[in-house]
Amino acid sequence: MLNTETFLHIGMPHYIFLSAVIFSFGMIAVLMRKNVIVMLMGVELMLNAVNLSFIVFAKENGNLNGHIMVFFVMTIAAAEAGVGLALAVAIYKKFHEVNIRFFEHLRG
Amino acid sequence: MAEAIGFYILAFFLILFSYRTITATNPIHSALYLVLTMIGLAATFFNLGAQFIAGVQLIVYAGAVMVLFVMVLMLFDLKAEIRAFSRGLVSGGLKVMSAALLAGLALGAANGSLVLYQTPEGNKLTGDVTRQLGLLLYTKYLYAFEVLGVLLLVVAVGVVAVSRIKGGTHAQH
Repeated sequence: MLNTETFLHIGMPHYIFLSAVIFSFGMIAVLMRKNVIVMLMGVELMLNAVNLSFIVFAKENGNLNGHIMVFFVMTIAAAEAGVGLALAVAIYKKFHEVNIRFFEHLRG
Repeated sequence: MAEAIGFYILAFFLILFSYRTITATNPIHSALYLVLTMIGLAATFFNLGAQFIAGVQLIVYAGAVMVLFVMVLMLFDLKAEIRAFSRGLVSGGLKVMSAALLAGLALGAANGSLVLYQTPEGNKLTGDVTRQLGLLLYTKYLYAFEVLGVLLLVVAVGVVAVSRIKGGTHAQH
């Protein structure tokens, strides 16, 4: 199956694999990093990877609904970044450090 | 041939930049590598015939969202972290293993479904994609579009409410 044609003819599988790799990087950032802001960046990476697969499938199916979905995801991502950064600011005000282990002390 | 070379260069830089985003110990460097990742993704979207989405990606992500991230980072005055990754051999190993499991699942699912997937014939995006997108957004998806506007309003109010905790960012303790 692995011949030169697979590598030279760029189709949907290549983009899907690229999307999967970027998504996994985003998930590793969310799981492993302790800085809240870098974790939010990991979430953004995951959302972008999903956007990439939406665009690829939209192109493959000749259907524009995927583009609409990407548009909505971008709006949600901007809102999510705003709320997440506001929470990070709230943590920083109390503890002067942006670390995920302080989230449990953020009552009241 | 040229398409393949372009794709591999783009994919190489995308993977490199996203890897550096999650491994850079200084959060500012992470943010700047994330901007480069977003720009690479915009180029990929353009490549895939989504010109409007590519422009929105550049303006909203590489512009607005990342400026927000970098501004908050500047506000915090963070130094490079000494222990950027979560400590603990067992829990760290578990996290790496679960991430690897997810990566394998995603790749395996993609690989397995591609055998079953059949490209619909004669279904190609033709003509002015941006125009069709606008027509679709303001007819079929008008209700969702309005709801998104309301959501953004709610989020704007909520962010102000969350960040107005007593003290202020540079308050003396």
